Amino acid sequence: MAGGSKPPPLNQRSNWHGVLLAMDLIFTNLVNGLMLGALYAIVSVGLTLVFGIIKVINFAHGEFLMVAMFLVFFATAYFGVHPYVTLVVVLPLIFGLGMLVQRVLIEPLQDSDEHIMIFATVGLSIAMINLMLMLFGPDIYSTPSSGLRTVVDMGPAMFLTGQLNILIAAIALVGGIHLFLTRTQLGRAIRATGQNRAAAQLMGINVSWVYMVTFGIGVSCVGLAAVLIAPLYPTSPEVGQYFVLLSFVVVVMGGLGSISGALLAAMIIGIVDAFAGFYLGANVKDLVVFGIFLLVLIFRPQGLFGGARNMSHVS
Amino acid sequence: MTMKNKLARALLPAALAVATSAGVISTASADEVKFGALYPLSGSLALLGEESFRGLEIAVEEINANGGVQGMQVVLAGGDAVDQNQAIGEARRLISREDVAAIFGTYSSSRSIAASQVSELAGVPYFELGAVAHEITNRGFDNMYRTNPTARHMARTHVDMILEAVAPALGRDATDLRIGIIHEDSNYGSSVASFQELYGEEAGLNIVMVEGYPATNVDMSSIVLRLRERDVDIVMQTSYQDDSILFLRQANERGYEPAAIIGGGGGYSMVPTAEAVGVDVIEGVLNADFTQYSVNEGFAVGVEEFVEAYRAKYGSDPRSGHSLNNYAGAKVVLEALDQVEGFTPETIREALMAVDIPAGTTAVGYGAKFAENGQNDAAFMMGMQWRDGELITVYPPDAAVADLEL
Repeated sequence: MAGGSKPPPLNQRSNWHGVLLAMDLIFTNLVNGLMLGALYAIVSVGLTLVFGIIKVINFAHGEFLMVAMFLVFFATAYFGVHPYVTLVVVLPLIFGLGMLVQRVLIEPLQDSDEHIMIFATVGLSIAMINLMLMLFGPDIYSTPSSGLRTVVDMGPAMFLTGQLNILIAAIALVGGIHLFLTRTQLGRAIRATGQNRAAAQLMGINVSWVYMVTFGIGVSCVGLAAVLIAPLYPTSPEVGQYFVLLSFVVVVMGGLGSISGALLAAMIIGIVDAFAGFYLGANVKDLVVFGIFLLVLIFRPQGLFGGARNMSHVS
Repeated sequence: MTMKNKLARALLPAALAVATSAGVISTASADEVKFGALYPLSGSLALLGEESFRGLEIAVEEINANGGVQGMQVVLAGGDAVDQNQAIGEARRLISREDVAAIFGTYSSSRSIAASQVSELAGVPYFELGAVAHEITNRGFDNMYRTNPTARHMARTHVDMILEAVAPALGRDATDLRIGIIHEDSNYGSSVASFQELYGEEAGLNIVMVEGYPATNVDMSSIVLRLRERDVDIVMQTSYQDDSILFLRQANERGYEPAAIIGGGGGYSMVPTAEAVGVDVIEGVLNADFTQYSVNEGFAVGVEEFVEAYRAKYGSDPRSGHSLNNYAGAKVVLEALDQVEGFTPETIREALMAVDIPAGTTAVGYGAKFAENGQNDAAFMMGMQWRDGELITVYPPDAAVADLEL
């Protein structure tokens, strides 16, 4: 606070003072909400991409984030570099892991019942959590913050440089994926496969390869998220679970498969979360967030930005 | 710490859990008495579950070296309570296949509640040495006993510490301080918070905010803002580890500096928490928890010997106070059982009800006297403070190694 003086208690403030403070608080909550929204967005983008193209609901999405955060931690500790530099190690590894999972787990089940695929990814999620518990125990591992927890003071609102980077990266990621999908040959092949797998195959697209690349890109998005999040949040085998529930809400609310929709939905949820958390309390904020989510499902089941899409995974 | 060390340290509990659970299972012969040892030895609670089990093991070795119980050597049959279902399954196995005289456990409240339902139905006594949920000893069970302090004692220590140590250290009247209670909203945090409210109001404290939040929260900036808006002087947080770190970091980064922050066990007691938030940020933060090692040895009599025995057996320092509290609790129970003849539920009850150990004579400092519901009413929690990266006991004065400073 400027001058270090504490605001007087609410009941002792004059009206004018109150209005100014109320505006300060609105601004503060807005900034908090944007930062939180960016966090949800960067975790959700890969999930919606995989769903839109491969039509797989990847319940292990959060665990890819967790594994990538462990990679960031160990790469930072081992090489002694800035966490962001570990991207060059983390991205190829997590991309490869994603391709492998698609090849050995998802692809053999591609033509089976949707429920089977759900069970497969849920199983993968449980296996990944327990593998990490076995290897590293339930302890937390703190990646050094390397200056990313530096506070940026914007009058009443404050945020961390690391949070601002997440916001910038989330927007850049959404823009980048959009360009990639619309402007490159591979991107167009991916979209074609997503629209109609059989037709894409007839046009000579190697569908199996496209799916592997798409899954790889999808989990690489959480690889990027992990590099940005690890310096701000402690890593543990359970950390993926913290983020994944809301990222499902974001993906469904934004319209399954819609990448820009996910960004906007994440921002909406982040802002609602911040305002509800402040004005109503942390114990009721989930009520508000999920209440809005239910309303969207009732009145716009295709999501805010979802159009008519081919959602069949066997077409 | 190097990577290799960290990895070795991480892998060790799993290896030990396998080794110990395989090693302790044996059949009781005529000059042996067998008890169950039910702890989470794998899964997400394995670290502190195993730490708790080590305390019991050391107590048993000590008792056996001194002639055992009723002239018989104590044998432990291990059970792995990895989750509630398995806790129930393992309790059944210990009772029906291993034929144990009683079960010791459990560290985790939810596993304790589940497993003790089985033992109660079978009429087998259950000794809880480490789980804190209030209801464990408040279900009208006949064969449930608990040696350790509970959620209620934690809140008691919080409030007493504010009244007798925090307010004087601040040079203010306790009733003038604005108190905020925040807690993770599962059974653990909610029950501690409700007792904080109860005892706080009884003592005339001005509680201006009580708020729960899900422990999986990834952002607590709105809670920090709310506390600051309400001019809260003293924040009490009952939390796990991630949310403790999140709150301490975000409060610090947002320049929110209440006169005191008092944590409740969980994350506030752990060195990795201090490392994650920074030694300078956690400096001065208070905490209530089971007795730890930086405690007045004249009050916690035998704590040094325990640490030596632990080092000799496991080759490292204890990783938390859980082993110490399980050790002290198990000793109280086993020594009491030595005073009677036989191991029927009736004689065990008779033995426990006769226990009357004053504070200042055990390795954990607190005494032992069991109420009708089986709860040790002489138990209490210690008040601690982070100083220079170490958690030292500052309350009550008898147990303190330094004065509380703010």
